[in-house]
Amino acid sequence: MLSRGVWLAAIAAVFCWGDWISMTATAAPARPKQPVYVGAKVCAECHDGAHMGNQFNIWLQSRHAGAFTSLAMPEARQIARWSGIPGEPQQSVYCLGCHATAAEAEPWERDATFFAKDGIQCEKCHGPGSEYADEDVMMDREAAMRAGLVIPTKDFCVNCHVEKGSHRIVLGPAKFNLDDAWNQIAHPTPKDWKLEVNGLVVKSQPNDATGAKYTGSAACSECHFGSSSGYQFSKWRDSAHADAYAKLGTAEALEIAAKAGVKDDPRQSTDCLKCHASAYRDTAGYLDSYVDYEGVGCEACHGPGSDHADEVSSRTDPQVALKVKMKKAAREDCMVCHADAHGKPFDFDAALKKIAHPSVAPVVENEPTYKSPLNVTLRPGARELYVVCNTSNSVVIVDAAAGKPVGEIPVGGQPIDVAFTDDGARAFVSNRLDDSVSVIDTQTRKVTATIHVGDEPHGVLVDTARKHLYVLNTSSDTIAVIDIETLEPIKRLAAGRSPWDLAMTADGQRIYVSNMYSNFVPRHRPSVSEVSVIDAERVVADSRPLVNGANLIQGVATHPSGRFTLVTLLRTKNLVPMTRALQGWTITNGLGVIWADGKVDQVLLDQPGLFFPDPAAMAITPDGKWALVISSSTDRVAVVDIEKLIAMLESATPQEREKIIPNHLGKSSEFVVGMISTGVCPRGLLITPDGKTAYVANSLDDTLSVIDIARRELVGSIDLGGPRVITQVRYGDRLFHSANITFRRQFSCSSCHPDGHIDKITYDTEPDGIGVDPVDNKTLRGILDTAPFKWNGKNPTFSRQCGARLSCFFTRIQPFNAEELAALDLFICTIPRPPNYFRPLGAPLTDTQSRGRAIFTRTMTNDGRVIPVENRCTTCHFPPLYTDRRLHDVGTRVDDDTSGVFDTPHLSNIYDSAPFLHNGMAPSLEEIWTRYNPNDTHGISNDMTKDQLNDLVEYLKTL
Amino acid sequence: MANRRILWAAAVACCLAWSARAAEPAAPTSPPKPENPPASSPPPKPESPPPSSPPPTPAAPDELPYVYTNWKHFTVADGLPNDHIFAVKADGNKVWVGTENGLALIDKRQGKVVRSWQEKDGLPFQAVTAIEVDKKTGDVWLGLFGGGLARYSGGRFDHFNQFNSGLVNDVVYGIAMQGDNVWAATTAGCSRYNTVTGEWKIFNEKNAPMEEIWNYGVAYDGKDKMYLAVWGSGCLEFDLKKDAEKRGDPWKVYLDPDGEMEIDLYRDDGIVHVIITGVSPVNEVLWISSYFGCCRYDGRHWRGIYAHETGLPSDFTNNVKARSENECWFAHDKGLGVFADFPTETVVTYTRDPNTLRGKAEVFRNGKVLKTVDMERAVPHSFIINIDHDGSDTWVATGKGLGWAIGDGYYAGLKKDPDWMKGAVKISDPVPSSETAPAPAPAKQ
Repeated sequence: MLSRGVWLAAIAAVFCWGDWISMTATAAPARPKQPVYVGAKVCAECHDGAHMGNQFNIWLQSRHAGAFTSLAMPEARQIARWSGIPGEPQQSVYCLGCHATAAEAEPWERDATFFAKDGIQCEKCHGPGSEYADEDVMMDREAAMRAGLVIPTKDFCVNCHVEKGSHRIVLGPAKFNLDDAWNQIAHPTPKDWKLEVNGLVVKSQPNDATGAKYTGSAACSECHFGSSSGYQFSKWRDSAHADAYAKLGTAEALEIAAKAGVKDDPRQSTDCLKCHASAYRDTAGYLDSYVDYEGVGCEACHGPGSDHADEVSSRTDPQVALKVKMKKAAREDCMVCHADAHGKPFDFDAALKKIAHPSVAPVVENEPTYKSPLNVTLRPGARELYVVCNTSNSVVIVDAAAGKPVGEIPVGGQPIDVAFTDDGARAFVSNRLDDSVSVIDTQTRKVTATIHVGDEPHGVLVDTARKHLYVLNTSSDTIAVIDIETLEPIKRLAAGRSPWDLAMTADGQRIYVSNMYSNFVPRHRPSVSEVSVIDAERVVADSRPLVNGANLIQGVATHPSGRFTLVTLLRTKNLVPMTRALQGWTITNGLGVIWADGKVDQVLLDQPGLFFPDPAAMAITPDGKWALVISSSTDRVAVVDIEKLIAMLESATPQEREKIIPNHLGKSSEFVVGMISTGVCPRGLLITPDGKTAYVANSLDDTLSVIDIARRELVGSIDLGGPRVITQVRYGDRLFHSANITFRRQFSCSSCHPDGHIDKITYDTEPDGIGVDPVDNKTLRGILDTAPFKWNGKNPTFSRQCGARLSCFFTRIQPFNAEELAALDLFICTIPRPPNYFRPLGAPLTDTQSRGRAIFTRTMTNDGRVIPVENRCTTCHFPPLYTDRRLHDVGTRVDDDTSGVFDTPHLSNIYDSAPFLHNGMAPSLEEIWTRYNPNDTHGISNDMTKDQLNDLVEYLKTL
Repeated sequence: MANRRILWAAAVACCLAWSARAAEPAAPTSPPKPENPPASSPPPKPESPPPSSPPPTPAAPDELPYVYTNWKHFTVADGLPNDHIFAVKADGNKVWVGTENGLALIDKRQGKVVRSWQEKDGLPFQAVTAIEVDKKTGDVWLGLFGGGLARYSGGRFDHFNQFNSGLVNDVVYGIAMQGDNVWAATTAGCSRYNTVTGEWKIFNEKNAPMEEIWNYGVAYDGKDKMYLAVWGSGCLEFDLKKDAEKRGDPWKVYLDPDGEMEIDLYRDDGIVHVIITGVSPVNEVLWISSYFGCCRYDGRHWRGIYAHETGLPSDFTNNVKARSENECWFAHDKGLGVFADFPTETVVTYTRDPNTLRGKAEVFRNGKVLKTVDMERAVPHSFIINIDHDGSDTWVATGKGLGWAIGDGYYAGLKKDPDWMKGAVKISDPVPSSETAPAPAPAKQ
């Protein structure tokens, strides 16, 4: 057995893993002494052998030790999908949070001896061990605890072992019983324990031979890991071979050994180890990186691998064939141990099949890739429609004359919008997932450059005359201005909350930007949204007209006269119970008229019996006569007679325009002159320059609807080539975006959760009195495993949340049937979390973020007082979801709350969920502590300095 | 909320001290001594004397600097929300004016106040002590004396304070734009806000050589250095390049080397005092103001600037604004001082006679009066608080009104027989009497 020091040196030289969980102590700046993870094998130096109750051996045989490799199972991938986690479970910090140790730790917090693939190790429950691992500290329990040793209670286990919806769906109801599990992993220290450091080291093994030596399976895992290798390492780790050494520590092994004349611990018998470990069957010797604990490792069958590993690690061209190849295992190699092994029968062929580990990536059954067109734009100077397809990550080019797709250009992740230079030579596509803009050469139909912009870019607009590209960073609340020649950023303008779409006035002097979210408003006040107006000449913010009572301002179109601009909007009555849907007074939908002088009118497109929910986009004909507006959740386009609209407004009194018309359900009949059906969930709209034709991008049936504007009729449909099959997720997506579930089709799920996210306002949902228990809306991104739902935690599952409860409190119509509910749930579960803008996957924490993490995980106040466990950040905001999914009272109850106990929210991408706290009373993260934690009931924060709070906020933004 | 009120009370107390002084006639008063001088020990005395400043360049008596003889005043009567002007910033034809109770905008073309804001109009806080314009975005950043920061963008204000943002303190004395960063000098350190990433950073005693954290001013040299003017901690230079590259210590400290609070023991050995009120970098030269005199640093030579040697109205200096390496304007408690031509030690002062209410300019060279110019008006009041240059013009914030010095025919340096002497002014040559003696001896004598 090796000492910790030898381990450190040896493994540091051999192993290196991905950025996300590098095992080595990478070059880190000098830091204050803090505990780091040393790994289970360091614990084993003292905690193994009969004298210590075989504690390490018990762990080695437990499911905890295999927790990481279990993520290679096909079920893990299914669970990840249900959790909205793209990619490999073994690389997802969400999965690793409960399937590995130190997953959320920074690289410097993992000692070189730490091996992440060992799964749930001692330090997951007992805390990072570097400061208490030394025997002189560990001999004194109190001293060890002061140095970081944690003695967990059963309660701690629940943080991971509480049932998760994703796991239940794939694996069925959890069979976990906490008491039983506690007994299974029990590893008590014997009363007559004695310390024997490295007590099980086998000292008789020769180690001075020349030639290849045993290097250990961990070295093999460097390359033979992950799906590309067919999960070879994980397959071995899940096999009985990997447990072979641990078996020697069992009572059964002692009995067998005794019968065979082995008097000592079988783990110290080379006779036993010849078949229960790797390096004892010949005299090749071993490197310091090799350990017996691995049992029958890769080299037991394939021979000592140090030369092979050396060549692999030193080669520069991976294409060149290796000179040193590993031996191919043969039947006789297996039979050396398995023939007549303790009287057990052995079927070679069956065993071979059982441990088969071909280097072939498993076949993954992927969902069909839909197109999901969101926007459509005509390329100037050509009859080509560029259709931005959100889920196929592409732009489909349609020949407008032929009405057929003629090409497809791959772009970035989740493309949203496209804009052209005036000559049509280049197109710019915003990619919401990648925080980038793809630059397309329209001649070659290829992406020639990618521009990094702000968080979740949405609308794009090109001002060719001034060589400016405008990109709306919808989650950064900024507008990036980029030089279209150099593709370099020029400046970023401040926008309102979540800039969404933009349009330039006919004279090219102004750009109107719709901002989707309401500004922050005090409690019990209605929404106030704003439109940003940019002076295109000076490229500065010109004005910010307010739209009172409105939210989700999305579509925007300027009138050719320059007199006004139209925007689409919702008027959400969030201050009264949602059951008011019966009175037609929950969410109304309409247009805002933004006059050139900054004044604002609002009109509704709803009618008393049939609403016009989710007006997501609009366009105005070049002659200024007609406005076409999309209702994405009723699959219709409204035709607005603009002249009649303006005449109606101008004939009204100022009081009517301010108080009556914005809420008047009967006015739309005066100016809405037609309704045209479209495909499923229209999201984008284009009117051709001749004003004759409109194209509508139908996001959930992969078509374009073609509208003859003069006839106000649907005249065609263009198939973009998406899959015909409608999967359960797709079906759920359609249900989510349909208002059919609501009384008089007033709203859809997406009315409050646009794109599966949130509208960021506070709702009085239940009919318990006006203004009682208002709650902040929550995002649906990655929500599945954060049950229970609702701020009061009353809904344990989505089935309950979206079933009868939805019907009772919100929609006031027949609830979803079982089939619909299952599909809807599946869709919601699979709404992914976008990549964190402040910490790209694998990126190290910045100094500021790192300091903030120290605050987040601290156990002592600035003046040295111990923070009670129940008042530490990580107790309730437990990684990986940063919620313990339990109810707590953190002292945030206010006078209109009937309870002060709330479900702990998760913190994933928390920066994108303002306002905060149960009722949204904290517009910024800072205010959670500067205003709403006066008594240190929401964590200990009042001892913190302002710079510490800033650091904490910067760290929280990385979660 | 209680904390906010206390802060505001403290802030207002300081502000009112200014205002009270501003309301008084310009009587000679000694600058206040600091109640709590810096606790740290002074740096060691230089083993060798600092390099001597080059001697003044001789100039003929008829070679004169430009004297502003055309002044326009703005007060409440002209539409300002308050007469106590704390800050002024020119941005093209727009001139932003921060007062004790509101913000105003002057359209230079119209020559009048075109708009003003108080709290009832959306201004987040009444006292505006600093103004800076983000040239890239056109947004205007306001330092609020107890209210944090405000961004005026697109006609409305966004509010950033110590409760809702990472700003270290709500008492803001100064602002500087550096690229996409807004720097705010506050009473509890300096904050930096990145308008693109949204990140706040605090500079205080933890990460900067601040013996005191009361930041009076912050300035950007337009290249790669920031300068902080700190009460009791001198002038701090922050090297942006080093910081970005994480290369060495980005800080450089300019303290008073003699460590004496009352006397300037070694002449021109460094800044004149650790309690400094402003810093203005221009063309590799630093101009620094303090309550005990001013100084200039060209990277090699320090030069202490005192009223009794130069003719400047006072050593008590509220602020400083350089126009070039040779011309710098000082906001004194007894008038406006302009070091008009450094090589020849030529100074122009502007004051207002409290009795006649007429304006007076005096031209000094080496502390001796060359010319006295009587005019209808000069500065609106002799308690000068803030200055901003605007091409040939200069805007002067005072304890009672805003002055617009219109610089038609302005020239840098000296000139014989300048045009300004031909205007409606009365020019007199020096009379050797006690009336024209330089200002009273400063505290550090």
